Amino acid sequence: MVLLSMILLPVIVAPFAWLLERVNRDVPKYLSLAVGVFLALCTAYLIIKYPGNGFAFNEFYTIYPPFDFNLHLAVDGISLLLLGITAFLAITVTLSSWHVERPGAYFFLILLFLGPMVGVFASLNLLWFFIFWEFTLVPMFFHIGIWGAENRIYAAMKFFIYTHLASVFLLLGIIVLYLTAHTFEFEKLVGINLEPGIAKLIWILMFIGFAVKMPVVPFHTWLPDAHVQAPSPISVFLAGLLLKMGAYGLLRWEIFVFPEISKFFAPLMAFIAVLTIFYAGFRALAEDHIKRMVAYSSINHMGFVLLALASLTAAGISAAVYEMLGHALIISLLFMIAGYIHHKTHTWYISELGGLMRRIPLLMTMFVIGVLAAVGLPGTAGFVGEFTVMLAAFDYWGWIMIIVPLASALSAGFFMWMLQRAVFGPLRESLKELKLSELPLIENIPLAMYIAAFIITGVVPSIVFNLYNPVVNTFAQLFK
Amino acid sequence: MNINFLMAVMILALTGAFLPVINRLFRISSLLGAVISTFGYLIALFLVLISDQGRALLNSFFTTDEVSRLIGVLVLLASWMLMFVVYWITQKDKFVNELVGAIMISTAGALLLICADNFVSLVIAMELMTMPTYLMVLFAFDDKSLEAGVKYFFNGALAVGFILFGVSILYGLTGDFTFKALVENLFKDPLVALAGIFILAGFGFKLTAFPFHFWGPDVYDGTCPGVAALLTGISKSAAFIALMRVVFEAIPVMAPHFTFIFALLAAITMTVGNLLALAQRRVSRILAYSSVAHAGYTLVAFAALSVPVSITGILYHSAAYVFMKTAAFLSFAVLLYIWGARTMDDYKGLGKREPVLAALFLIFLLSLAGVPPMAGFISKVFVFTAAVDAGMTWLALIGLLNSAFSVAYYIWIAKQMYLEEPTIEKPVNDVNRVWAVIPLAVMAVILIVLGIYINPVVDASALYAAKVGF
Repeated sequence: MVLLSMILLPVIVAPFAWLLERVNRDVPKYLSLAVGVFLALCTAYLIIKYPGNGFAFNEFYTIYPPFDFNLHLAVDGISLLLLGITAFLAITVTLSSWHVERPGAYFFLILLFLGPMVGVFASLNLLWFFIFWEFTLVPMFFHIGIWGAENRIYAAMKFFIYTHLASVFLLLGIIVLYLTAHTFEFEKLVGINLEPGIAKLIWILMFIGFAVKMPVVPFHTWLPDAHVQAPSPISVFLAGLLLKMGAYGLLRWEIFVFPEISKFFAPLMAFIAVLTIFYAGFRALAEDHIKRMVAYSSINHMGFVLLALASLTAAGISAAVYEMLGHALIISLLFMIAGYIHHKTHTWYISELGGLMRRIPLLMTMFVIGVLAAVGLPGTAGFVGEFTVMLAAFDYWGWIMIIVPLASALSAGFFMWMLQRAVFGPLRESLKELKLSELPLIENIPLAMYIAAFIITGVVPSIVFNLYNPVVNTFAQLFK
Repeated sequence: MNINFLMAVMILALTGAFLPVINRLFRISSLLGAVISTFGYLIALFLVLISDQGRALLNSFFTTDEVSRLIGVLVLLASWMLMFVVYWITQKDKFVNELVGAIMISTAGALLLICADNFVSLVIAMELMTMPTYLMVLFAFDDKSLEAGVKYFFNGALAVGFILFGVSILYGLTGDFTFKALVENLFKDPLVALAGIFILAGFGFKLTAFPFHFWGPDVYDGTCPGVAALLTGISKSAAFIALMRVVFEAIPVMAPHFTFIFALLAAITMTVGNLLALAQRRVSRILAYSSVAHAGYTLVAFAALSVPVSITGILYHSAAYVFMKTAAFLSFAVLLYIWGARTMDDYKGLGKREPVLAALFLIFLLSLAGVPPMAGFISKVFVFTAAVDAGMTWLALIGLLNSAFSVAYYIWIAKQMYLEEPTIEKPVNDVNRVWAVIPLAVMAVILIVLGIYINPVVDASALYAAKVGF
């Protein structure tokens, strides 16, 4: 019942957030915070009770067995980590949105988003996975479209149509898979023997769906628009959860289900990953728009995730899952601060900024810490993530992966250059008249939470790895 | 045919027939009229629900099986909700009781149509369903509605002509009208194919399938939108079921030869419908062309007729369609009545002005677009599963791409409602909205329930598949 309540409770509470806005403007945000805490407590309970390996907390709700249309919920270490990210971001995003306009509708949509999000990570039935997956688009569309920046409508439409189009390929893949394997159940699909031709077709169709969500080059064009136009807390959801859905889907429903076919396509995945890393890196280098730059660095990090997944070893998958966590924490922090910079200075462009450190040192210090983590400073989750990814890639692909550390240097390049231009140096003339002040306490809390989280997980990575390593090792047997 | 089912049809038709009479005698209010018709609907619903008991009669004309019970219940529910909204949007008109009476008679015809397993009863039921709608289309009595009425009448007459011509060829070959006898007596005669094509063409008019789709948008746009809801939602769903019976019960021997024609028609119909819908500015025309596109999706399931999943696809799509299309047109009707909103520009900011109605409209649009967890999603899953299963992955891909592109115009309406600033300042008719909201909310709930609790529809289709020999 725990998992089902984690899906249903946010959805049931959601309408109350909308309705009770009339009573008191503060009710919706407290409801959302309460749901976030509820999710965190549930996840903590599940992590404590988790036996260490395999799927636990099986919940099976029979709907229509002949078509295999049953809601089957269960979690393993990997899903538990992602549920943890979901709960964590639910709390931080609520705190960051404390002073949002029209709170009723805003938190209604946030709650409507959280339920299906839990469903995506907890569902072991492919069709239900798709139902949850697809429904998350609707609240996101309205978030971007209503609370977004000046070009929000274009971004929202592009986001919805683009990702829906991708889901269509995923759905076709699911249909073909069902008709050949006659099941949607993950546990029956693992290790299933299909005719290679059909299996390759299914793999490609599903990969398109996941690749657009991740996103990887050349399917990434929706992301910079969506991220830039979305309000910062929603960018956090986009980067922290929506992109993870793509990577998680790829891992759970393609790499674990079709180990042989994934091996066949591994070079393709690795090539796309390296392409993504470099393309996004160079685009970020050329970008003057600060949030767009962070968005490209987010794509760059997802390239690392795909690269690690493509190695198809226990070490690689482990590194990919860790990198997902690191990406969620670090990029979220950067998106939030980029949004605050725009809020305070009314400009997005690095070339119009400068010397912010002199006026808002606390916020900028956090920004620098976040940037250093994104670059891969030891002691942060960014270092552990990139380092393990590179190790796995070397291990599997050999010396050709010497180019990947170069990409890391590239990311250090664009971030440091940005810091030098926007944060340090003398204060720019145009900013002198503005009243630059630090954030109120409530908005600093989530930022501090991100920093604390990525430093703790960076210093003691074993608390993360131990959660899912047995699971990854078990599945890694498939690739032998 | 089961006697209870027939009783349901009779009671519904008689309530509809006497409603205007009662009004002439006693001058009843809208509320009382709605109460009287609700009694008719409830009794009919009850009788349809118990139609698995009791003796049978008219067996060579009609059959009562799981499909007719299920779709009968859904059609009755949709028509019942439609009745409330029609009373509400035409409350100032003095002919409202005549309109509602016609709706009930037409629904009775739809109930008969989904049971017909004989070409004579098929044509009669179809006419019973269509005749009242000829009157209803003219209800508004303005220029556009006259044009729509004439167009609708001639196209309807043409459709029946085509069907009758096809039927007469079959009769000439076999000497029988019943579907059963046809299956036994059909032989490989080119004339049978000709008859099949004529019958298909006749149904094509009813379903607004390409190339017989031209009248659809003009009529749906020209008439009172409450009537359009009945025409495009209820009548079309019943026609889908009738066509399903013809294909699977009357000409199963010939049907495999039509696979490619169905597939081609499906591909063209949905593409044409979606492309034209994208080009429209008026919301009613967008909904009308989306109804053409949805006829295409159902034809995809017909094209896959060699596998049993196709029956699930047809049945599920009809079941979902009867609610989502009726409800979408009714939402449009309600917004038109309150705000006078016709075009996309008028829809700007309606989400702020009418939060509840706009949210309901959004649910129906998302269901039409095939976004889970609404019934429109799972019905598309079944339709395209059928296509892939029958070896037509290309058709499924075309259909799914179409459905992805169709999202553009559904979400465009959502964009206008929620993301833009309002343009209309004052409502045209500012009245109590409760009786418009409740029926639409009921339909939204049914859509969501049907989207998750798939058992009734899939069970009925499994029984029907067993009946027709899969």
